[in-house]
Amino acid sequence: MLPTEPIGSIPRPAALIEGVQDFRAGRISQPELNALYESAVRDTIRSLEATGSPVITDGEQAKDSFATYSIYGLENLSPDGVPISFADGHIRNLPRLTAGPFRYKTPADVYLEVAQRYAHVPLKQAVVSASALSLLYPQGGIRGYSREQYLDALVAEQEGEIRRCLKKGAHVVQMDFTEGRLSIKLDPTRRLLHSFIDLNNLVLERFSAEERKRIGVHTCPGADRHSTHSADVDYAELLPSLFELRATSFYVQLANEPNRTRVLKMIREHAKDEQRIFVGVIDPLNPRVETPEEVRDHVLEAAEYIRPDRLGTTDDCGFAPFSDDTSRTRQTAFDKIRARVAGTALASAVLDQ
Amino acid sequence: MPERREAYEEILGRLNRRLRTLYQCTGALFQAESEQELLQSICEILVASGEVRLAWIGYCEDDAEKTVRPVARAGYGLDYLERVKTSWGELETGQGPVGIAARTGNACWVDDIRTDPRFSLWREVALARGYASCVAVPLIANGKSAVDLRGTLNLYSAERNAFDEGAIEHYTGLATSVAYAVTALRGSLAEDLAHGVTALRASAERKRAEEALHQAREELAHVTRVTTLGELAASIAHEISQPLAAIGADASACLHWLAADRPDLDSVREALAAIVKDGHRAGAVMTRIRALLARSSVAHEPCDLTGVIRDVLLLVSPELGRYGTVLQTSLATDLPPVMGDRVQLQQVLLNLLLNAAEAVRKVPPDRRRLVVRSTVERREDGPWAVVTVEDAGVGFKEEEAVRLFEAFYTTKPGGLGMGLSISRSIVEGHRGRLWATANPGHGATFHFALPGAP
Repeated sequence: MLPTEPIGSIPRPAALIEGVQDFRAGRISQPELNALYESAVRDTIRSLEATGSPVITDGEQAKDSFATYSIYGLENLSPDGVPISFADGHIRNLPRLTAGPFRYKTPADVYLEVAQRYAHVPLKQAVVSASALSLLYPQGGIRGYSREQYLDALVAEQEGEIRRCLKKGAHVVQMDFTEGRLSIKLDPTRRLLHSFIDLNNLVLERFSAEERKRIGVHTCPGADRHSTHSADVDYAELLPSLFELRATSFYVQLANEPNRTRVLKMIREHAKDEQRIFVGVIDPLNPRVETPEEVRDHVLEAAEYIRPDRLGTTDDCGFAPFSDDTSRTRQTAFDKIRARVAGTALASAVLDQ
Repeated sequence: MPERREAYEEILGRLNRRLRTLYQCTGALFQAESEQELLQSICEILVASGEVRLAWIGYCEDDAEKTVRPVARAGYGLDYLERVKTSWGELETGQGPVGIAARTGNACWVDDIRTDPRFSLWREVALARGYASCVAVPLIANGKSAVDLRGTLNLYSAERNAFDEGAIEHYTGLATSVAYAVTALRGSLAEDLAHGVTALRASAERKRAEEALHQAREELAHVTRVTTLGELAASIAHEISQPLAAIGADASACLHWLAADRPDLDSVREALAAIVKDGHRAGAVMTRIRALLARSSVAHEPCDLTGVIRDVLLLVSPELGRYGTVLQTSLATDLPPVMGDRVQLQQVLLNLLLNAAEAVRKVPPDRRRLVVRSTVERREDGPWAVVTVEDAGVGFKEEEAVRLFEAFYTTKPGGLGMGLSISRSIVEGHRGRLWATANPGHGATFHFALPGAP
């Protein structure tokens, strides 16, 4: 059976979204909000396990967003950081660091511990990449806290976060690297991309080869609502550099690529022998649920370019990377995951023959 | 004539103000370290010039409403921006000067807010804040630039007809410069990050090299310890065979006594006690050797230096005895404990003692003596433990003194020349010092000093 894993997020239940708004307005207390989080995690895990997925996540139910969960609530941040423009016109602003020192407030292993109370199958834990958080540091600098000091602290924080997730038993830790293609949009010279890769490798190199077998990297053009921030950037600009990352597993958005065979050829050309490629076979942006047969065909197509012992399947992206994203329903997400699992099993049966 | 002169002076004054404004804005263009800082500075300078009552910069968003989002503002009636909506779309909110300028890429102005129909949507709120005329100039960077910038610079005056042709040309030029500056600032993100990551990478490489060097030193120290113990093999064998032989003899005696009709149990008991004692003696030798042979990682902990000296002396005494070398000791009773690795410190002393033993081997018997001393030195930073090994052997020449501690320097045939070099690195790793002095008569004295444990 080919391995199959989700990316991470699942749309939050309406009760939780309302609860978060109530909490921000002072209408409910922190314990009441925590109870809503816990309930959403429990329900999400139960539903994910029901899809038959051999590896699950907590659906990122308690995360504010995939990018800011670890820093949400820090006092040395202001909301007017780097703006990320999406193709449909909406903008998400990253926070901006206003003072040092920098520390995570809620690292991913805290979420993992909660999920472990309810999970009966292996749990995967997503963490945001150091390169994404490198954008928090303002261009004008911070008096008394240099960019080097910030990056040093950031790398140490992420090492600690990943190490604790591994130690606590995460099946795999997935580094979300959605800003790869975006960086090319910001800097066509690709110098920014190379800095991103180098920074993430500074984190990855702190782990042994054995530990890195349980560390993966996810890339996609940043899905939010019904849109992406960098799908217009040619994959060819990113893929050769992507596989320079010293991770073992790569979760690559593919289902909604207009020319999949071209991307698969690039993966075959650039991925290293020891790297496993989880190809995206589900498009979270498309409300239509794929059939298992469609998934099977996508997998078999990928197997023509990637050896089955190096192949796995995944979703193109999380289903709600930002907590307030209601553009998809939970049921659609679970149905799509069920199709991925079933379709992967069908493809595995064909490949085993 | 006075009217004409007055008009000239007014024009001259206005040009002077614009020149001063332009000069200040140019400063901001070069000095701003962030996009936000730049935009805010420009707005503040324009208001401070006295020509406008409100200045704001808006960026165009591609949302459904095609909102023009204020990103910097300065002046009077800032709540105006919270009360009104502006768009760059075709809807009603996009029909004012801001929307038209953003959409067309050309400046758009309103000479009289009271009467211009294009401003009807915002008129009431604007007049309430004392705005009488306004202009919007495009802030656009595109073409080959990677930066996606589309917005407007918007100015409101308390006077009607405030924005003549010269003013519009002036502000349009300024907006073009601001757009270029934003492009440059966004481009520097890659530069800044690359610089930071490169510095971090260099630091990581340096740390890795230091760790590799440290590990190599530890391995070398271990090899040297094993080699040193090899030199002691004959003495160690003797040291162990003596108690083993005594154990054998005592055990035979026991068997003999026990075979008698009336066994001499007192003698048996005494012989068994001797066997136990000799067994412990042989075991202690083995324990000391095993510790020196172990390849354990360095652990700094409070360490009794007198104990270290006694352990090493027990190891080397048989070797000294083989060549008739007399060992004298003078050990301080109040030696402070030091922070250190016991095995490494034993290695240092063992190395100094074996060097000294070799130095006296070829001199007349009356000079075959070693003195091991320990003393306490009171220094500003607290007590230090000082250990010296003094011999009356062949000594060293003055020109050799500087090279004694160099790696691969040796005066011994077949020597590796690593012992003193490693000893010095060990002592320095303990924040101490190792040095040598020539004795006035014969031989040399090697000293090492270590700070007392805090």
